[in-house]
Amino acid sequence: MDIRFSGASVSFGARTVLQPLTLMLTERRIGIIGLNGSGKTTFARLINGLVKPTTGTVSVNGLDTVRDEGAVLAAAGFIFQNPQHQIIMPIVHEDIAFGLKNRGLKTDEIERRSAAVLARFGIAHLAKRRVHELSGGETQLVAISSVVVTGPGILILDEPTNQLDLKNRRLIENTIAGLDEHAIVISHDLPLIERFERVLWFHDGKLVGDGPAPETIRAYREAAEC
Amino acid sequence: MLNGLNVEGSTPLHRMSVRTKLAILLVLGVALYFVSSLFVLVPAFVLAVGIYFTTGLPVRDGLSRLKPILFTIVILLIATAYLASIREATEAFFRLMALVLFAGAVTATTATGDFIDEITRLLQPLDRLGLVRAADVGLAFGLVLRFVPDIFNHYQAIREAHRARGLKVRPLTILAPLIILTLKDADTIAMAIDARGFRRPRTDRNK
Ligand SMILES: Nc1ncnc2c1ncn2[C@@H]1O[C@H](COP(=O)(O)OP(=O)(O)O)[C@@H](O)[C@H]1O
Ligand SMILES: [Mg+2]
Repeated sequence: MDIRFSGASVSFGARTVLQPLTLMLTERRIGIIGLNGSGKTTFARLINGLVKPTTGTVSVNGLDTVRDEGAVLAAAGFIFQNPQHQIIMPIVHEDIAFGLKNRGLKTDEIERRSAAVLARFGIAHLAKRRVHELSGGETQLVAISSVVVTGPGILILDEPTNQLDLKNRRLIENTIAGLDEHAIVISHDLPLIERFERVLWFHDGKLVGDGPAPETIRAYREAAEC
Repeated sequence: MLNGLNVEGSTPLHRMSVRTKLAILLVLGVALYFVSSLFVLVPAFVLAVGIYFTTGLPVRDGLSRLKPILFTIVILLIATAYLASIREATEAFFRLMALVLFAGAVTATTATGDFIDEITRLLQPLDRLGLVRAADVGLAFGLVLRFVPDIFNHYQAIREAHRARGLKVRPLTILAPLIILTLKDADTIAMAIDARGFRRPRTDRNK
């Protein structure tokens, strides 16, 4: 993984929500922390081109998020803060197949890959369920499966344990820990990211901390408490 | 609730191709429109009831799916009875109910994915002429089926919040927050569709 920000900033109208940023991301596990509204989601969306930089450029494995939009979307999967929003088909197995169909895969290949991903995340029994009847943890697993199945090398997860109870939080934590993919995880759930190789801390649209998880998290905690 | 989704099964309707079912439904719709004799409409209605409840749909579920549309039909009937005649209202009742039940039976016996694939396939000729994007229309159908229950859940949550605060439940005061919630969702859902690669690499943008 090779993600590069070169002077990338984001403004909505006159308001700059992310200050110009130049950095490189290569680690397997990267956490993002910061208060509500500090620009975490905007930063994460820049990576896979859902948000375009107002100034500067962002590239993923050498692909520019503006020029090579489609390829970047395929390389970096995004799991939204509310997984309900990204589950597009009414039945679980249909939703898993959705991304594969869009890539023009054959039916038997779609079935093979869907079955494999459902088994990998331990949700084969949910295949025929209606998505609006799933529990929070199940919904999150379906959302992750439906992105992983298309084979992106990078996964971006926006507050994946936010709406979950303790048991489901552990389940998703273990799932993320076991991912083969590179993962960039926004989280208020600090135990989730405390073993990560690198954590970025945003405050008011500025990157104010960047380093190994223990240091950045400690600084963040101290700042939040006074 | 119009969950509009299928039940597993192996009845003849389940095994029939989506295209055949849609064609039969279309023919029935047109035919029933031209018939006004109760000697035809009532048996058609009875047949439709029979088919609808042998799709494997639990009776309770089957009945509750009909509720929203029944409400619309009743309003229509009252208007017809008032503006035309009771006889015409009676005909309209059996005609509409027969159609609703047949359509319900088709929905109950067809997997959404198959439905969407078939619609996309049927629209291919128009797609080639550049009139529509068949895949978009297929997706639109899927989205309706996917999100109608969500919108209904929003509606119930808002209604409960009204009750909890001792507010009168009026359509207007419920509609405003419902529309806002739905539009907020719609923005993110549109982004999610992009993120999941539906629109494939764009060549017409970012020249
Ligand atoms: N599409 C948008 N239009 C206008 N303002 C936005 C948009 N998206 C985010 N913002 C604003 O940018 C700031 C950062 O938002 P966000 O990146 O979502 O923060 P976080 O994820 O850290 O809570 C917020 O003040 C938010 O209101
Ligand atoms: Mg956010």
